[in-house]
Amino acid sequence: MRTYSIQAQLLAGTVALLLAVLGAAAWLGFDAGQDEAEELFDARLATSARVLAALLGMDGKVREGLTDPVIVALPAPLETAVHDAATPLGHHYETRIAFQVRDARGGLLMRSSSAPQAPYAPLEVGFSNQRFDGRSWRVFTLRSGELWIHAADSDAVRNELSGKIARATVAPLMVGIPLLLLLLGLLTRYGLAPLAELARQIARREPGTLAPIELARTPPEVAPLVESLNGLLERERRFTADAAHELRTPLAAIKIHAQNAARASGEAQRDASLGRMLAAVERSSRLAAQMLAFRRATAPHGHLAAQRASMRQVLEDALEEVSPALKERAQKIAVTTAPAEDDIFIHGEHEKLVSLARNLLDNAIRYAPAGSAIEVSLHLQPRTVVLSVADDGPGIPPELRNRVFEGYYRIPGTAGEGSGLGLAIVREIAGQHGAHVDIGEARPGRGTRITVTFPAIVPSR
Amino acid sequence: MRILLVEDDELLGSGIVDTLSRAGHVVEWLKGGPLGLAALQGSEFEAVILDLGLPGMDGLDVLRRARAAGNKTPVLVLSARDAPGQRVAGLDAGADDYLVKPFDVDELIARLRALQRRLRGSASNVLEHGALRLDPAAGSVLHEGRPVVLQRREFTLLHRLLSSAGQVLTRAQLEESLYGWDGNVESNALDVHVHNLRKKLYPGVIRTVRGVGYVADPPP
Repeated sequence: MRTYSIQAQLLAGTVALLLAVLGAAAWLGFDAGQDEAEELFDARLATSARVLAALLGMDGKVREGLTDPVIVALPAPLETAVHDAATPLGHHYETRIAFQVRDARGGLLMRSSSAPQAPYAPLEVGFSNQRFDGRSWRVFTLRSGELWIHAADSDAVRNELSGKIARATVAPLMVGIPLLLLLLGLLTRYGLAPLAELARQIARREPGTLAPIELARTPPEVAPLVESLNGLLERERRFTADAAHELRTPLAAIKIHAQNAARASGEAQRDASLGRMLAAVERSSRLAAQMLAFRRATAPHGHLAAQRASMRQVLEDALEEVSPALKERAQKIAVTTAPAEDDIFIHGEHEKLVSLARNLLDNAIRYAPAGSAIEVSLHLQPRTVVLSVADDGPGIPPELRNRVFEGYYRIPGTAGEGSGLGLAIVREIAGQHGAHVDIGEARPGRGTRITVTFPAIVPSR
Repeated sequence: MRILLVEDDELLGSGIVDTLSRAGHVVEWLKGGPLGLAALQGSEFEAVILDLGLPGMDGLDVLRRARAAGNKTPVLVLSARDAPGQRVAGLDAGADDYLVKPFDVDELIARLRALQRRLRGSASNVLEHGALRLDPAAGSVLHEGRPVVLQRREFTLLHRLLSSAGQVLTRAQLEESLYGWDGNVESNALDVHVHNLRKKLYPGVIRTVRGVGYVADPPP
């Protein structure tokens, strides 16, 4: 779908709406004007007819024996004038106003020069519309004694008036539209300025800058965007800061043992310092490896639903990775799977799932006593696939079971040199796979059991 | 010097203990906040090295509580928190110095000496006591300009007595300074060191206060 600029959309929408409203206003104005003019002109036509009838009546009967009808002429200049202004002689529009006087049998007695020779209308009283000379005429017919009087005017006069009324209604609006558009343009630009500034700030940003974005003006519509951007930046910054912080202590340990070794007063002292330095180096490299693993775990993932991972293979790979540590600690791992023969698949990414399983196993190996047994189980249930790892270690107190998922969190007083990232990695990967992680006890009051429940693949029909 | 180290990291802590004890100091190492606070309040130290990220109680809380209880022992905070605001928070909580990890061992020791110097209100590390001159940085003692060779514990004992010249120190205080908590002290070991110091320097350098302990009288 094509996306249009917000400003263009607002302007186009407003213009369309405005034109519709203006059109309606103009049409209504024209219509109302025409109605009013109609009524006014009709009244005047009727009045003219009555005045004419009264005048002819005062003169007694229309002169008998009249052979030719009397023609009331207009002053010549008015016949040919083209402009609409009034003159001392009268008005050019008089050519469009006409009358006829006829006797009882319909014979023409008198007419204005603008009126035709032929009868204007049938001999019926009242208003009617007639066509003459290619023009529409409004005719009022009056009967006064023996006389029929037609008073008429042409539509052109009426339309011109109502047109003028409509134009007068619309004209100020026509001037207003461009002004309004200009104002609207400025307003939308002002309103969208925070978005524009946001874009500018992001564009100007040095790569690697993690300082939060701050706008001079943050309207409520833009605030959620800025907040979530800053949330992302904050997470990134915290990770970097935490990483630097976490590396300081092992580095300090390496340095002090190195310096102690350099100025040892005997071989025994030097060897002791070198041995500890080596341990500190190993711990640092493990920490760095875990940091990278956490990074990889949080990296954007592909479309997981489109991938299938064999959980049996995942477990096998993870077990192989931890086998040296397992041997060193003289521990044993017992694996049970159900169903025992068939492989179990879930939607997911093999590498990440191996990382998840390896971290679970690492924790068990690190915290369970040397020589103890670790139980791993993989079960396919109707709707879920459940992976669980249980050890004989000191266990995780219930009040800390949420905290252990935080990056770099270590249970106070714990022996061993965990990075504090293992369970953070587990939860991250589990979350990406739509799985949830539960921490419990391996046996009542003893040990730790961590259970990861994945959604099973729904068989397609 | 008798130093309390509160640090939860096994490898770093052992390194600091090695460094300081090889430099002739007695180090008590505790790994938790509450334990550290209890030790600080129940025992005498010439300096404290305090980590901040401690299990049980944060180092800053340990510091605030000790200061609130009137403890004046010089405290050097050792921390991975290096932002200026965090240093300010540490100093404001009552730290006398703030060292960011990783650090140089010589700097750590020099800063500890500086804390001692400040405690005495002196401009120099060197302790002058009549014809005696003790330089803790060099680990040397001069008597009337002549160098005197002392054993490590003899030096530590002399340093302790001269640092508090004129003040009677109990046998228990001196033994703690020399051996710490877990040193196996023979009952007359302290007397042997005092005897040797009197022989190597001059008899009046240390006066016995019967039933209490020893004192280095201020020179006339």
